[in-house]
Amino acid sequence: MKRRSLLKLATAVAAWSPVARLRAFAQSPVFTDAQRAVLDAIADTALPASLGREGRSDAVRKFVSWHTNYKAGADMGHGYGASTLRAASGPPVVGRYAAQFAALDQAAKAQGAASFAAAPVNVRKSVIESALSTPQPVNRLPARPTGANLVADFMGLYFSSAEAFDLAYRAQIGRDVCRGLEGSDQPPAKMEVR
Amino acid sequence: MTQSAKRTITADYVIIGGGITGAMVAQKLSDLKPSASIIVVEAGSTLFDNENRFQYRQRNLDYGENMWPGDFIADQAPDGMISRTMAVGGSALHWGGVCNRFSEEDLRLKSMYGIGADWPVEWKDLEKFYCEAERRIGVSGEPSPLPEDRRSEPYPMPAMTPTYNLKQLKTWAEKSGIPFWTSPQAKNTKEGYNGRSVCHRCNTCEVCPTGARYSPDWTFKQLIADKKRKVQLHSRTLVRKLVMDDTSTKIVAAEAVSETGDAQQTQYRAKTFVVASGYVWSAHLLLLSANARFPNGLANSTDQVGRYINGHLAYQTQMDLDLKIYPGMNEQHSLISRKFFRCATDTPYIRHDLRVWESASGRDARLRDANGKVLLGDDLLNDWRTRTTRGSARVRGYFTVEPDKDSRITLDASKKNRWGDPMPLVRHKIDAASEARSGATRQHFEQLFAQMAKANDGKMGNISGLNYQDHPAGGCRMGTNPATSVVNAFGRTHDHENLFVVGAPTLPTGGCTNGTLTFVATALRSVAEIAR
Repeated sequence: MKRRSLLKLATAVAAWSPVARLRAFAQSPVFTDAQRAVLDAIADTALPASLGREGRSDAVRKFVSWHTNYKAGADMGHGYGASTLRAASGPPVVGRYAAQFAALDQAAKAQGAASFAAAPVNVRKSVIESALSTPQPVNRLPARPTGANLVADFMGLYFSSAEAFDLAYRAQIGRDVCRGLEGSDQPPAKMEVR
Repeated sequence: MTQSAKRTITADYVIIGGGITGAMVAQKLSDLKPSASIIVVEAGSTLFDNENRFQYRQRNLDYGENMWPGDFIADQAPDGMISRTMAVGGSALHWGGVCNRFSEEDLRLKSMYGIGADWPVEWKDLEKFYCEAERRIGVSGEPSPLPEDRRSEPYPMPAMTPTYNLKQLKTWAEKSGIPFWTSPQAKNTKEGYNGRSVCHRCNTCEVCPTGARYSPDWTFKQLIADKKRKVQLHSRTLVRKLVMDDTSTKIVAAEAVSETGDAQQTQYRAKTFVVASGYVWSAHLLLLSANARFPNGLANSTDQVGRYINGHLAYQTQMDLDLKIYPGMNEQHSLISRKFFRCATDTPYIRHDLRVWESASGRDARLRDANGKVLLGDDLLNDWRTRTTRGSARVRGYFTVEPDKDSRITLDASKKNRWGDPMPLVRHKIDAASEARSGATRQHFEQLFAQMAKANDGKMGNISGLNYQDHPAGGCRMGTNPATSVVNAFGRTHDHENLFVVGAPTLPTGGCTNGTLTFVATALRSVAEIAR
């Protein structure tokens, strides 16, 4: 690759770096502090303990970032195998969460807690299980948020991520990371996780 | 839409269509005739913003957005076409880069098996152009070990190292007695080949962020930048009609409308016209260009334009295997066996390729256990981990089906674009012989997949078939008899001496593996004749 092309590539990568995305987030918060606290509590309950606090906070940040950077009306392409164009992306689904945040709090309060975020783990777990079963049971985790179920959306975004796969396989697979050809004939390095 | 005054542009050659075939024809033609002026006219946009590919790729991964934004024209909407891509680069903007060759049998179906049609091309002749196509595109590959697949030249680049997953899968797949090797790919394994980067195994070949996977925009950029060549690219310019000379059957002009803001009408005049618009739009343009002397469309005096569109069907399954696989290392790279490209003439006819990929099927996190209980946190992770101890593979075989005469592209008067042109109606139909053997074909795959699964304590999933014909071609098929074909063996139309159709539309049959390399090889074969 020529030096100029490499520079362009590096600029493109930098523009899409986590720092750039966090900057975008800082400019337009889509969740209130109280809602962030609920997301933290969902993460503490629904994500693996082995992620640690930092890993769970990172999952929350990525969920927030996903919604922050969502674009309505985006070209969704046309796929392959059919002659139809896909509809442009719809309005942000984040607006559908407000009632669901409130319902989580309400359900926690019904079990004697001050709020969902302040509830003990067993209460949060019970509330989450109920949220995933009513009014319609969620059977599969969505790969991307749809707005239909806040808890499923949160879990789905994390558990479909490359990081989650690495955790499950206890290996640094690094899906969708440009890994280079050299060494890719070897199994991915092991990850020391519980 | 209103149209402004007409402008006229003259060139030696006008190529209609800026996909992979158009790119290769323009490049070779300018190699052979450096002083000739060549204009490539493409209806879609130029998407040359390589610097944005990482961002597009990331938006696609995160949000499912189009990885090639704007690669279509909303009202150029054919019913039944399997890809809406319409941009400089065409479908090869986001192809997987698989560069399999057909086999000699594909060219001799009629004489060997009494089915389909023979091609008016000898395998030895075509093989040379396969080599040329591989050089021009830049293919890295592992030669087939089968003697029938012998090559006259080595691959331009060494094969890509198989991933750990692919090595594991090869060991498994060959236990069933079938030889496998890695698929050849239009991906650089040498830094700088044709000015492009070496592959970084980013796992998103449909939008290669490094440029290691070939796409025709690279060729066009190089052609335009080379000031010694006289190649121009006119994008966002839709050719609506070819115009015939009043006193002969020669084509004198291509009427186009530019969408670069003023909807300006342009008339391209040239000595030779090359239609390189893929299997749908090539036939469509000829049909749209009907005149008083050719009331059914140009090159269509025997009613063959649009007929015999072809492709191949497939059966596929997922295998659960006693193997440790790490899905996500390079999901697009596959193994292939060409063992079944051959079929003894005294056995029931079936020909197919056989491919194996790593797969994450059944290896994703699940929210509920087998009893429907919600899984959270460590319970979910532990459940997930129990399912990662065994691996998963995707196995698929493309098999040949031959087209019926009424496998066809026609004009759909009920659906028009903004210019009032009827859009194509694409309807595939397999012939009676293909239909008659469909049950036996399914049974063959059931047995084959079961044999493969059994070889490694595997469990075969459900078998599913494609509901469309993949890698479609035909519509302007080549042949020696004008009564049953549109073009001769070099793509020259039987009816018009200076009008050529090249690439996919000219294929009489669709083979049993990815077609792009064959589309390019046949087109390159045409160029010497076009240049004459």
